[in-house]
Amino acid sequence: MNDPHKPSNEPDADASARLLSALLDGELSGPERREVLARLQSDHEETERLAHYRAQRAALQAMFPLSGAAPAMFVQRRPSWRRAVAFGVGGIAAGLLLGIALHAGLAGFAREPAFAERADVAYAVYAADRQHPVEMDAAQPERLASWLSSRVGRPVRAPSLAEYGYTLIGGRLLPGESGPAAQFMYQRAGGERVTLYETAVAGRNLTPRALLADGRHTFYWTDRGIGYALSGRGDAARLRELAMEACGALGGPTDAWKG
Amino acid sequence: MSYESDLLVWLPHLTRYARALTGDWAWADDLVQDTVERALNKHPPRPDDNLRAWLLTLLRHRFIDQLRARREIAVDDACAPWQTMPAPAGEISGLVLRDVQRALYRLPVEQREVLLLVALEGLRYQEAAQVLAVPVGTVMSRLARAREHMRALLSEEPAARGAALRVIRKA
Repeated sequence: MNDPHKPSNEPDADASARLLSALLDGELSGPERREVLARLQSDHEETERLAHYRAQRAALQAMFPLSGAAPAMFVQRRPSWRRAVAFGVGGIAAGLLLGIALHAGLAGFAREPAFAERADVAYAVYAADRQHPVEMDAAQPERLASWLSSRVGRPVRAPSLAEYGYTLIGGRLLPGESGPAAQFMYQRAGGERVTLYETAVAGRNLTPRALLADGRHTFYWTDRGIGYALSGRGDAARLRELAMEACGALGGPTDAWKG
Repeated sequence: MSYESDLLVWLPHLTRYARALTGDWAWADDLVQDTVERALNKHPPRPDDNLRAWLLTLLRHRFIDQLRARREIAVDDACAPWQTMPAPAGEISGLVLRDVQRALYRLPVEQREVLLLVALEGLRYQEAAQVLAVPVGTVMSRLARAREHMRALLSEEPAARGAALRVIRKA
């Protein structure tokens, strides 16, 4: 320690550390608090000590951030437990379910994005809508993309999925986790729809993952600050292929999908 | 809210605490997993009990058990779990985070846990006392010692850093 003079007796130094500590933690009563604060006015060393404690706390909190996204994904009441099974675990006895959902969640706990969950819900809401599935149609695809890009604040695009029989029918702006999100909607001749959700995300690139909720599949990944999620119903393998196609068409890393 | 969903609310906190305590993400995730399994197989605490403190208590018991099985985290051991943690970059109020990390894992476990419960998890002294099964007065004095210890370690950091570097070079 750098203390220029050693405290005259140890108990006093300990008591002082306890009081400063309790002051920082808001654990002092009114009179105690006033007394300690008054003493700090004139005691430079004590003020520095308190500042150090405060800095320690700030550093610890910075070192171990709380992951905000995951709980929203897993906090579910029993009736909608299927939404909690986010990683393609199917057909499990309900009793085991919580544990397994947790296990899946913990694997990537710190970085599990809420955007995938939002994309899934947005798909459930709008793809089922026969009257107004989109906010703006795809008559002018460039205008659609530039409007959504300007709102999302990132260049969002709707890649062609024509090879798989899907045509872009339009898109809409949605509230995302921390800002606007874009949803592009595609439809096949038979009426089946898929959506591609795009929003700005922080953090490093996320390799592709899947989310299964109530028969809906969402394949999601992030690339250069944008989170992408392709959602649809039906054959998971085919949707995965579609997501991989979209990822490649958007300039994303397709080798991450292998294996 | 059901018991299960109440429990899930605290998962990120449990995970963060376990990671900070062990300095080892895999170990931390195992601890949380064990804790939640235990929590589900036990009678939940009464509604007016502090669920979070109870979960932290369960986690702590698992941690102490496993700590006995493992060697206590060695200070300058290059194999210590926390050495494999990504070094936090940056500086907060003049403290270099990497140095804070090093200091944290040089604290004795009983100082580290109380410091993390209060300074990181924001528990009241009363709650920390419940988790640690000690009187509130002990929480206060242990916490004060932990903070002073951190301050001392961070003040002597340049020398310690040199020592650690020598160890790594030797290995």
